[in-house]
Parts: sequence; structure tokens; C-alpha cells
Amino acid sequence: MSETFFSINDLLRRKLQTSLVIISLTLCVASTLFLLLFGEKIGFGISLMGESRLTAGFSMVFSQFIVFVAFLIFVVGAVIISFMVFLMMSQRVRDIGLMKAAGCPNDLVFGYFMTELLIVTFVGCLLGVVLGILADFASTSLLNSSGFQISQSLPNFWLVLLVFAVFFAIALILGAKPILDTTKVEPAKAISPTYIFGLSKESGFTVFAKLGFTLKMAMRSLFRRKSATFRIVLCLTAVFILVTVAVAGGIIADQTTQSWVEKAVGRDIVLIAHQNMTNQYKLLLSKFHETKEDSNFNYTHEEYLISEEILNKLNSTSGVTDIDARLVLNTQVMEVRNYTFNPQTGETIPVGDDREGESLIIGVEPKKALSKWYLEGKFLKEDETFEAVIGDSLAQKMFSAPLDQGIRLFDRDFAVVGVCLDPVNNGNVTYVPLKVLQNITGISKPNLIMIKIDPLFNCTQVLTQIKAEIGSINSDFEVFELNEILNKNLELLGFIWSTIMFLPLFSLASASLCLIGYVMLAIAEQRQEFGVLRAVGATPKTVVKIVSGQSLMVLLSSCAIGIAFGIIITLLILVPEPLITVYTVIEIAGWLLIALAATFIFSLYPAIRFAKKPIPEIMAQT
Amino acid sequence: MKTVVSASLVCKTYQIEDAEVEVLKNVNFKVRKGEFTVLSGPSGSGKTTLLNIVSSIDKPTSGKVVVFGEDLSIKNEDFLANLRCHNIGFVFQSYNLVSTLTVAENIAFPMEWVQKPENHITKRVEELLEIVGLQHRAEHFPFQLSGGEQQRVAFARALANDPPLLLVDEPTGNLDAKTSLKIVQILQKLKADGKTVIVATHDEHIFQLADQKLYLEDGKLVSLDE
Repeated sequence: MSETFFSINDLLRRKLQTSLVIISLTLCVASTLFLLLFGEKIGFGISLMGESRLTAGFSMVFSQFIVFVAFLIFVVGAVIISFMVFLMMSQRVRDIGLMKAAGCPNDLVFGYFMTELLIVTFVGCLLGVVLGILADFASTSLLNSSGFQISQSLPNFWLVLLVFAVFFAIALILGAKPILDTTKVEPAKAISPTYIFGLSKESGFTVFAKLGFTLKMAMRSLFRRKSATFRIVLCLTAVFILVTVAVAGGIIADQTTQSWVEKAVGRDIVLIAHQNMTNQYKLLLSKFHETKEDSNFNYTHEEYLISEEILNKLNSTSGVTDIDARLVLNTQVMEVRNYTFNPQTGETIPVGDDREGESLIIGVEPKKALSKWYLEGKFLKEDETFEAVIGDSLAQKMFSAPLDQGIRLFDRDFAVVGVCLDPVNNGNVTYVPLKVLQNITGISKPNLIMIKIDPLFNCTQVLTQIKAEIGSINSDFEVFELNEILNKNLELLGFIWSTIMFLPLFSLASASLCLIGYVMLAIAEQRQEFGVLRAVGATPKTVVKIVSGQSLMVLLSSCAIGIAFGIIITLLILVPEPLITVYTVIEIAGWLLIALAATFIFSLYPAIRFAKKPIPEIMAQT
Repeated sequence: MKTVVSASLVCKTYQIEDAEVEVLKNVNFKVRKGEFTVLSGPSGSGKTTLLNIVSSIDKPTSGKVVVFGEDLSIKNEDFLANLRCHNIGFVFQSYNLVSTLTVAENIAFPMEWVQKPENHITKRVEELLEIVGLQHRAEHFPFQLSGGEQQRVAFARALANDPPLLLVDEPTGNLDAKTSLKIVQILQKLKADGKTVIVATHDEHIFQLADQKLYLEDGKLVSLDE
């Protein structure tokens, strides 16, 4: 019999097991390839589009997340593949032992089973590549049809080849080990019941005497097949870390980043300015979610300046709680070098360069500012100090250590006291005290006002009144609610996070298949016992209970470790100052519970299928 | 005397790939309450299959099997499981103990399924261990026992719920003469206790206990008493 003929026959004889291994290999390869192809379009690309969309700070959070999820998906893929080929080969230990006992030489036995491994891994990896490319194409088309503009290009051939080669090699190396191990074992040992599946029948684990027999059998069996149990727990733990980082991390990061944007822009804020100025500010704020060309706008035009009369009118309007007057300008700025002192070496270290660039300058009254930015450092405190807070994109583009440096604008130096995450002009912005800006530019009036309306008042009524009063003073002035743009900015964040959360779906499906594989191993090992239980009066439900008990114990322990690590990674590494509310916790718990329940339900399939078999068939040795 | 087992025109055919293998051919027999029936025949004659059908583990291809007045062919799996648990004790040829449970637990688990109280289970386990002479092995796992000891545990497990019908498949087939004698003694006690027993065996010592002797050959059953 040729090696190929034997291998194909053997694989066909174990249809369910063969298809499980091929499907999980396919899903692992597909998920990694999909992540690399699709992530390049929506994820890795994010860090490169900082100039046109999203601020540098946001891009960094996203790219950190995607790189970490990509790394986890790769690790999970490798762990799953190692587990599945281990399972596949473990179930052939008896056959290998029998062949050796019958006098088949070691190298021929190794050849038979390596050919099987080669066929399975080649088919699995090939199908994975095809599925990965299709998934990428389908997802991109779906998002394009939903209004997002993502380029639909041909997949990178070298990337595809790399993923195929890496996973093919991993599967071969990891799968060859159990074959090699078994071919080295004496035939008598390999066919003995204490060595089948590479498992020990002995159990050193003591179970509480009070536990019911169903649970006792489940627990003892788990501890008896230590090697396989350890591998599946490791595998599922990796998957749950990935799912937690993607789902819990995604939800936390989504809500945290949304709150950063919401606080920076402000909720229910009304903008009052000349209509040209209003349009320009809308454009500046929209740059966060869509690429827009900036026109050569003249911020200092006299018509745009807001008169005392308008300010007084707003002050006297009942229902207006806060008024934040701003002077918005655009000018060349320059990084100011500085020196830091190392107390240990006594050295002075130069910081920064003489980089120049253009920035939006906004003068604000520090105590009246309606925005509450996410800041590194502090915000402006005094009205007349030469201090500045710069946006994250400006900080990244022009500064080495912004908080140790200064910024020069209108030929005056300002100390940088804070770096803020701000969607306005995509983070290319500098905030300085309004009075200082007015003094150095000679422009005594603001050109933009933001107000907040008391929620106890009827908002529409107050707005109508303001529109009428402002219109009566200057008909070119406009009143505009910022919520519309704010919501678009939040939508973009929501879309990106939901896409990231979608990425580990394939891995979760592979994990379910792994658990199915483990349950099949448990059934194969215990089939004789289950047959006996049925024969002496157990119902099929009892068998399902024992198997599902094992499956649940494996799942819960992996889930507990995985979720704990996932949350720690998310909170300590990936999201600074996370925003967690009761709803966040409920939402995360809900999603993780769905993932857990789905994996568990899928894993029951082989148990239910097995328990329905007639008893003589269950007891028959395969 | 009341009939406990009645089989009429029982046939069993296995489909192995394209070929049909007829294991039982129109088998008819009755076993009355308290009767000790010995079933013999060459290897592969269908003894185990017949015991499996009587115990409701397997179903006949055609024919009717009535056990304790219940027609097994029309009952669902839950009913049959309950019947096996309460009324039928089965001792397998290859012992088939649950390897993850200790000797005491192997004997106890059929009682837990019928929700017997814990003190009853403990007492009954001690009683059965004494009958089979394995009190000192209660906390051992099956892999720590010899073949004869495993067979005796299998007997104790079959008797756990005190079933009125006991089916025993080749109880001495894998044992040496000395160990076989212990098994025969257990069977003698069961007969003395008035249990209905069907034993598939070739053992001469067990033949001597028989009230009814049946012989299976090539799937056909004949009574040696006639």
C-alpha cells in the first residue's frame, strides 16, 4: 500500500475529525490573513492617515490596539493549530502502536502519518488563504456599500504567501512531534489502554467525596488527560484574551475615546459667529471624520469680530448658562528648544529642534472654556500668562518633549503646559489665554462664541430667541448647534471600534472547533465507559451531562484566566484613563457571555450526536 | 410460575458494508421467575447479542421481546434506561468498570441514579463488598485490581439496585480455575436468593446450577432440556 493511499483512506475513515482539523486550520489561516489584509485598509492605515483624518493621539490608541490584536490572532492561530494537530495525531497513537507491533518499520510508520499531516495541513492552509481573501473582499465591499470609502485593491501576493508558509510550517513542525514521540514508544506500551491518546489512566487528583458521580467522572477524566486538558485550557485562554481585548477593550476604548471627543467638543454646545466663520469652524471640526481641503481663510476679517452688543445680549438672555468667547486665528508657529537637567549625571540635555509649521491658534478665557480636554499636563490657569496647550497632532509633528519645551507664535514664546486630544483642525491647534492673544495681535474682540443652554429651559425656545436677537443686530451672524458634527465624529470612532471587535470572530469559531475536538477526544477515550453507563441504566442525558461538565470546566477556567488577563492588558496597556460605567460592564459581560455560551453550545454537538447512538455501537471499539 | 422474559421469533441482522450477517434466526424462549437459565454455544453464535437484546441494550431486527410484561420494541430510551436501572443487572464479559470511579463508587453509582438515600447507598455498598469479598479494595481504582476482582466488582454493581433479573455474559471466560470458583459461588448464592438469572457460559460448574439449558448455534436456539 502506498503512503498516499493509506493516508487518504485513513483520513476519509475519520471524516468528522479530518474535517474538524481542516476547518480549524482554514479558519486560523483565514483570520490571520483577513486581519492583515483588512487591517491594512482600516487599521494599520489609520496611523498613516493622522494628517488627514483622526488626531495623532487617537491614531496611536487605534494602531496599538490593532497591532496587539493582530499579534494575539497570530499567537492564537499557532496555538490552535498546535492543539488540533496534537489531537489528530494523539488519536492515531493506538494505530501507530498496532502497526509497529505487527512489524512495520519505524520510518514507514512515520511516513504514513506524516503524509496524512501533509495532506491535511496543505488543504487547510490553502482553503484558509482562499477564505481570508474572500472575507477581506466581502468586508471591504460591505463597508463601501455602507458609505465608507475603503479602497478595494488586489491582495498583496507576498503577504498571502508569507501567511500560508508560516502556518504550513507551524502545523507541520507541531504535528510531527506526537508522531515522532509515538514511533519511539515500544509497541506494547503504545497499544496499552494506559498509553492510548498519550494519556495516563491514573489520577492523582482527589475529588470531594460529596460530589455527584456525574461531576466526579467529569473532573477525574479532565485531570487524567492532563496533557490534552492543559493544551485546550492554554488554547482557549489565548482565545479569551483575544476576545476580551477585542470586545471588552473595544467597548471600553470606544466609550473612552468617544468621551474624549465629546468633552473636547462639548455636548449641546451652540456656536455663534459670522456665517463664514461658522462654516470655517465646522470644516475644522469635521476634519476629524472626513478629509477636507482647508481654504485660505482670513480669520482676522473685521466683519467676523463679535461686537460688545452681541455679547451683552447673550449675557442678558435667560437660559444661557455659560459663554465661552474665543479668538480663532491661523499662523506660523515654531518649536522652542529647551534643556533638561539630569540630576544623576549633572548633564544638561538639549530638547527639541527649530521645527516650524502652521497651526490654528485659539485664544480662550481659561476659566470660562466649555471644553474639557483629555490632557497630558495641565490646562491654562491664568488669563495673562504666556502659557500654551497644544493639540496632540501638533505635539507629535513638531515637538520632541512638548511639556519641556515652548512654542513661538507672533514672535512671542509660550511655555507648553499641556498636550490635549482635540478633534478641532485634527489636533493641529494651540490654545493660549485670550487676553494675551488679543494683546499681542491687537485684535480686541473675539470672532467666535460658544454658549451652553440651561437644560431646565426649553432649548428650542431659547435658540429661537437668540437667533432673533442676533439677527436683529447683524443678519450675517449664524447660530449653529455643534451636536451634528460631534455625532459624525463619534460615528467614525464607533465604526472603527466595531470593526476591530469583528476581527476575532474567526478565532472564536476556531476555538469552538478546538473544543469540539477536545470533546471528541474525551468521548473517544471514555466511549467504553459511556456505553457501560448507558447499559446499566444511564440515559443519554447523563452522558451529555458528563461530557458537557468537562467542556464547561475547561471553558470556565480558560475564560476566567483569559478575561482577567484581557482586562488587565486593556486597562493597563492599551487605554489610558479608561472610562468604565455600569453600562460598560453590563455590555462587556453580555458580549463575553454570548461568546462563552456560543462556544459551549457548539462544543456539545459531538456529545449529543454520540449519546444518541445505540449502546452496542457506543461500546464497540473503534 | 410467572414469565419474566419472553422472546418470540427474534431475528437480528447486522449490515456490514454490503453484506448482511444474520446473527439470530427466529429465536423463541421463555424464562420464568426464579429460574436459572444457562445459554451456551460456540463463539460467535450470538449469545452476547441475545443477552443485549433481552437487557434492552440492543434492539432485534424483527420479533418481540417482553421483559416483566413490557414489550421492549415499543418503549422509548428513557423507559428502557429506567428498566435497566431498576430491574435488570448486567455483568459484562469484559467487566467494563468505570475507570474514573473507585470500586465503592462503581457499585454505588446505579443507586445514585435512582436517588436512593446516602445512608442506604453506603450500607448497600458495604453489604455487596462483603458478598463479593472485596471490602479491602473499596477505595481502589479498577486498574489496580486483578481480572477476577474486577469481575466480582461487576457482579456487585449489577446487584446494586437489587434487580429481579440478572444477565451474566461469560463470567468465567477470562479467569483461572480458582477465581472462577468464587464467581460460581456468587451465582449459587443468587440462585438460592431466588433471582432470575440468565448466564451465557461454557463453564461446567455453572451448567450444574441450570434449571433451563439453551444452546445457540448459527443463530438458532435449541433447548438442551428437550
